[in-house]
Amino acid sequence: MNVIQLRVEQLEVIHQPLNAHIFLEGPAGSGKTTAGVERLLYLMDQGIPGGEILVLTPQRTLAAPYEAALQVPGVVAGSMVTTATLGGLARRMVELFWPMISAQAGFAQPDEPPTFLTLETAQYYMAHLVRPLLDQGYFDSVAIERNRLYSQIIDNLNKAAVVGFPYTEIGERLQGAWQGEPAQLRVYEDAQACASLFRRYCLEHNLLDFSLQVEIFHHHLWPMAQCREHLLHSYQHLIVDNIEEDTPLTHDLLAEWLPSARSSLLIYDQEAGYRNFLGADALSGYKLKALCSQVYIFSENLISSPEVQRLTEHMQRIFSPGAALAIREQPGAKQISPALKPLSARFYPEMLDQVAAEIARLVQAEGVPPEEIVVLAPFLPDSLRFSLGYRLEQQGVPARSHRPSRPLRSEPVTHCLLSLARLAHPAWNLPITQYELAYALVQSIAGLDLVRAQILCESVFPKAWSGAAGLLSFAEISPEAQERITFRLGNRYERLRLWLAEYSQSPEEPFDHFLSRLFGEVLSQPGFGFHQYSITDDLQAGEITANLIESVQKFRWSAGEMLAQSGASLGREYVQMVQDGVIAAQYVRSWQAGQASAVLLAPAYTFLLNNRPVSYQFWLDVGSYAWAQRLYQPLTHPYVLSRNWQTGRVWNADDEFQAERETLQRLALGLLRRCRRGLFLGLSELGEQGFEQRGPLLAVFQRVLRQIAEEAREG
Amino acid sequence: MSPTPEGQLSQPIIQPRLSQEKIRQYRRGWMGVAAVPGSGKTWTLSLLAADLIKRGALAEDQEVLVVTLVNSAVDNFYSRVSSFIEAAGFLPHTGYRVRTLHGLAHDIVRERPDLAGLEQNFQIIDEREANAILKESVHAWLRSHPYDLEHYYLPDLDDNRREQLNREKLPDLVSDVALAIIRYAKDQQLTPDRLVERLETLRVPLPLLEMGSDIYSLYQRALLYRGAVDFDDLIRLALGNLQRDSSLLERLRYRWPYILEDEAQDSSRLQEEILSLLSGSSEPNGPPGNWVRVGDPNQAIYETFTTANPKYLRNFLNRKGVIKRSLPESGRSTASIIKLANYLAHWASQNHPLEIVRDALAPEPAILPTPPGDPQPNPPDDPKGIHLVLTKFTAEEEIKAVADSVARWLPKHPESTLAVLVLQNNRADRIAEELRRRGVEVVDSLLRSTQATRQASGALTHLLQFLSNPTSARYLAQAYRVWRREERREADEARARLERASELLRKCNRVEDFLWPGAEHDWLEQTGLAESDPAAYDQLIEFRRLARRWQTAVLLPVDQVLLTLAQDIFTQPSELALAHKLANLLRQASQGHPSWGLKDLTTELGVIARNERRFIGFSEDDQGFDPQQHKGKAIVATMHKAKGLEFDRVYLMSVNNYDFPSGEEYDAYYSEKWFIRDHLNLQAEALAQLQLLLEPARDEWYQEGLASRTDRFNLVRERLRLLYVGITRARRQLIITYNTGRRGEARPATPLVELYNYWERQQIGS
Repeated sequence: MNVIQLRVEQLEVIHQPLNAHIFLEGPAGSGKTTAGVERLLYLMDQGIPGGEILVLTPQRTLAAPYEAALQVPGVVAGSMVTTATLGGLARRMVELFWPMISAQAGFAQPDEPPTFLTLETAQYYMAHLVRPLLDQGYFDSVAIERNRLYSQIIDNLNKAAVVGFPYTEIGERLQGAWQGEPAQLRVYEDAQACASLFRRYCLEHNLLDFSLQVEIFHHHLWPMAQCREHLLHSYQHLIVDNIEEDTPLTHDLLAEWLPSARSSLLIYDQEAGYRNFLGADALSGYKLKALCSQVYIFSENLISSPEVQRLTEHMQRIFSPGAALAIREQPGAKQISPALKPLSARFYPEMLDQVAAEIARLVQAEGVPPEEIVVLAPFLPDSLRFSLGYRLEQQGVPARSHRPSRPLRSEPVTHCLLSLARLAHPAWNLPITQYELAYALVQSIAGLDLVRAQILCESVFPKAWSGAAGLLSFAEISPEAQERITFRLGNRYERLRLWLAEYSQSPEEPFDHFLSRLFGEVLSQPGFGFHQYSITDDLQAGEITANLIESVQKFRWSAGEMLAQSGASLGREYVQMVQDGVIAAQYVRSWQAGQASAVLLAPAYTFLLNNRPVSYQFWLDVGSYAWAQRLYQPLTHPYVLSRNWQTGRVWNADDEFQAERETLQRLALGLLRRCRRGLFLGLSELGEQGFEQRGPLLAVFQRVLRQIAEEAREG
Repeated sequence: MSPTPEGQLSQPIIQPRLSQEKIRQYRRGWMGVAAVPGSGKTWTLSLLAADLIKRGALAEDQEVLVVTLVNSAVDNFYSRVSSFIEAAGFLPHTGYRVRTLHGLAHDIVRERPDLAGLEQNFQIIDEREANAILKESVHAWLRSHPYDLEHYYLPDLDDNRREQLNREKLPDLVSDVALAIIRYAKDQQLTPDRLVERLETLRVPLPLLEMGSDIYSLYQRALLYRGAVDFDDLIRLALGNLQRDSSLLERLRYRWPYILEDEAQDSSRLQEEILSLLSGSSEPNGPPGNWVRVGDPNQAIYETFTTANPKYLRNFLNRKGVIKRSLPESGRSTASIIKLANYLAHWASQNHPLEIVRDALAPEPAILPTPPGDPQPNPPDDPKGIHLVLTKFTAEEEIKAVADSVARWLPKHPESTLAVLVLQNNRADRIAEELRRRGVEVVDSLLRSTQATRQASGALTHLLQFLSNPTSARYLAQAYRVWRREERREADEARARLERASELLRKCNRVEDFLWPGAEHDWLEQTGLAESDPAAYDQLIEFRRLARRWQTAVLLPVDQVLLTLAQDIFTQPSELALAHKLANLLRQASQGHPSWGLKDLTTELGVIARNERRFIGFSEDDQGFDPQQHKGKAIVATMHKAKGLEFDRVYLMSVNNYDFPSGEEYDAYYSEKWFIRDHLNLQAEALAQLQLLLEPARDEWYQEGLASRTDRFNLVRERLRLLYVGITRARRQLIITYNTGRRGEARPATPLVELYNYWERQQIGS
């Protein structure tokens, strides 16, 4: 990075003495992180070993600018700088000090190694424990899909851990704030019972989900002299970015850590706090300011054009009518109108057409680089991602998304692999249908089309289910069908069939091994579908297979032993869990890399948390309530489970309204501060479902548009 | 004045007449307006809404809330109010919100879904899905209680007959009874658990209620499992949220300082409670809020087994402090038709043979023709335009006679609107079929999904069928026809080419040799089409490209399959919007039924396409039916669906004592099943048992049969009003016929005979 471009106040922060404790605050786009990165380089430049520096962020992606700077050749000499989240740090410490704390933390098998659970495997265990309770009438009165039920119980445990209250108080806290249907009180009791059951089970089996890792770190490791010494000694210089997005527990630890650190830089975004649904707490973060000797405030927005800034200020005034915010005269900005363009249509797909056409115009006629454009919506459902992606493709504009339009479990490749797996394991007794076979064959066999696959299946599909061994061989089917299918394709079918049939006769292997072998020995070979896979998406089949294998591996590591004890097949269990939506619900990971020069389609929060300004933003579904509303989850509550909520106080519509207003304000202003030149609004009278939507963001823009109309009249 | 009659938006805006102006002068408080058919109440209410906005009575974050009865009216209001306020320089669609009760309930629940125990994107299941769940629950119950209801059968039925009834009739009957219980319980905000609790406190057996309560539990469990609520839940939960969270109520009261309610005669208890809460005063003894209720108690026709009741509006009109207004003038009909309608109301209130139902129709306000000089003058009188036919037709004869009459009349009046109105959907289907047989163009959009919706979903269904049957040449040809469907309406040459090409495809025995040919077997090349018909050849090449794309896409999740297809075959925005909605519907279906394959999902879509399921689409007719768009055609509808509309010539069919009973000894009632003893109406009996449970302090004890009798009176009342609604649909000509019913025993309905005699007297007198 070129130091010459830095502004005076940034340089002042960067060049503070090597023992300074600095608190840096300001809105998004004011150059705080840039200063943080430069401070890091400056520290190293002054001879501080990288190994003594800890860069702490609330989530991994927020460390990206630091990691990028460290990757510049020549920057890193000697030991490596650590970038971490509190969760990552906790896990590392648990691993390191396990033998010393396993017994006192209450694990039933302290001499055995711990098993760390991913979110997915934690969900699996939760499902395993809760499912029998559902049949006993637990959660009887709540309208919720089962896999979401499991994730919300886990969420409650995580909140208790990061906010720092005993997990046994979850139910009581939720009940205390409730004023609705009394039946819900029992639901909270059930949620508490399930959380407690899960925790007990984890302790009995040496399983550590995120919440338990954090709690052990909090209650057993941090207070332990060896561990604390280790941390304080290792990391003497702290750079903590986005403290407003971090959790109260992180803030507590920092409050104890800072006095022992040689230097620190804490960076605070004044208008943010987007992760409070994950337990983040801007208030407790701001209190750390008192522990810093140097305080800097950056106020100037370095990103937005004067028109966008004017728009931002108008919106601010609407959000805070009482604050009597004066609209600053932006040099060169007489009007908001150049910065705001509504695209209105009656129907939803019509609006998408307009959005795609406008993006194409920007890219093709105005030469805006595609990566300088982002399309945002409060949620980005698969159908929207798919429809808009298609339209942009038609317009010849490259687009990418923060994830593909399908989770791993809905990927055709996943279906194919799991169908073949069911064929190879007749003992599971999970028969597949003729359609499933046809779809699997279309993907497995290179050159096989749907018509021939259907003819093949009609000829070879067995009447009674006996897995791959029951499939007829190509030689056994009628000559006419053979001719229609062609011998070339028939031979490939034979190879696949024989491999599956042979496997099905031998003892069952670990499921991930099976998948690896199926992929390596058959599907990736010439003549087979995964050799050069290009069916429906630009994702490579190999990549998806690798992801699936990884998911199975993690499942085996955490659940394999338990399943082996109960005599159940891990593969069968995995396949059923996929069908239930409990696992493989996440998205293919390598996708993030994507195409760099492409329009990004993303949920608004994802874009915010990636913290990358762009020239043009398109906001879709402006009428949606989701811009302001928190995610309603019947078993949990981000505000009531936060540190700022007094147990026993009832959560009412005023609280809700206040929370909504703050959410909307943070979100809208946060997005605008990351917008350089212009904002387009996708407005359709009828939403995706054909209903009229009148969310609060729409009301805000109606007022802005009215102001623009007045401006135009005056002008 | 000028009330543009309901359903028509095109007429110019003119000055309101005096009675309308009085309503427009409204400032604050509670106001009740009794209107007559065709008096322009929707127009007047729109004018008032626009006026409130223009007067500056609202802050920036406030809205006038307009509540109406059906979806199709919502757009009508929007267009009207918009046109009024845009003319005054306001932004359209700001400052007001139009909702049906369900839409409003949805808005309220969405403010705080958590309070109702719901997630952000809770699913609302539609009627069909709700019925399917109910059926499952009923079957489950019947399996474990196969003989519980047998004591309600006629005692002299033999075992075989009983078995047959158990198989064929009982499930539907139990469904009806359970549905009545569920709806009523939800209306009373009674959960299954609470119902069971209360039942346990009673010592007497209430078998129907116990059954209803069991099925209610099963039904509700199934809903929860899906993470869904039904329409009745939505309303119950909305009221619950308002009652529980006073700060929510305060906010909404602030947001909607004016509430204008149309069709208030069909207001239910819950609707009245919700609106009265919203419009109430924030102070315990403060002034009431601002609530205007407009309706015609004589047109209340949605009361059977709902809690809707015109008494709510009547009571409101008579309440102390309510400003009372009326809209008595109507320019809709000829003087003769007005006379007939007014006479019906008069006779029913004075001389109906069943004294207890004389409150069904109010003679006041009577319909008055518009005053001279009014911009909406009544059509010139034509007493000959009224035909009350007492010919003793059988059901089939009646259909043929009406169809003949329509077929004769329409060609001579291509600029007129005509409607045939019946009571039941299946009867409407029969008359539509008979009309089509005579070459009459029939419009039946009011019966079910609109034709546009059916065509679009039908096109997608055909493509999905092709994808689920990839080896079928028949479906391949069908898919081709769908892709070129525009040409079916085009000039001869294009149509002929379409027919030739699709015939050719249909004969393609080996579909793979066309779609995915090897080097040697390209079927298309071997047809010689490239030389004989190059244009058709080019089309088939293009079709092959698309069909391959679709076959490849079949591996995607079903919503994405549907969107892919839609992008390729639809160009109209409304069609694409519909496809988007259908895609979401199918995704929900596939999530709700994980084992479903493409074939099952195709069937589901087919159901929509074949119009078994009324599905709100996006075409013009979906947004509000305008008879003026269908001049010279026969509009076939039920009398219920025709409410709010008007036609130049109207046929009312089946006006016999079965469909329109009058409490005479010889009348039969469809709710009293022939195989049930003592003429019991089990739905009514079940509700009586539930009411007993809700009001245990009451002195009366449950007496079997009493509710069945009382329910007869309710039906008599509702049918009188329905007849009144039917008559007042007619502008110039009215034909009423009856038939002798399935067993040939039915007679003309008593009110029809009365009208006939009255009209005879009139004719003689004149």
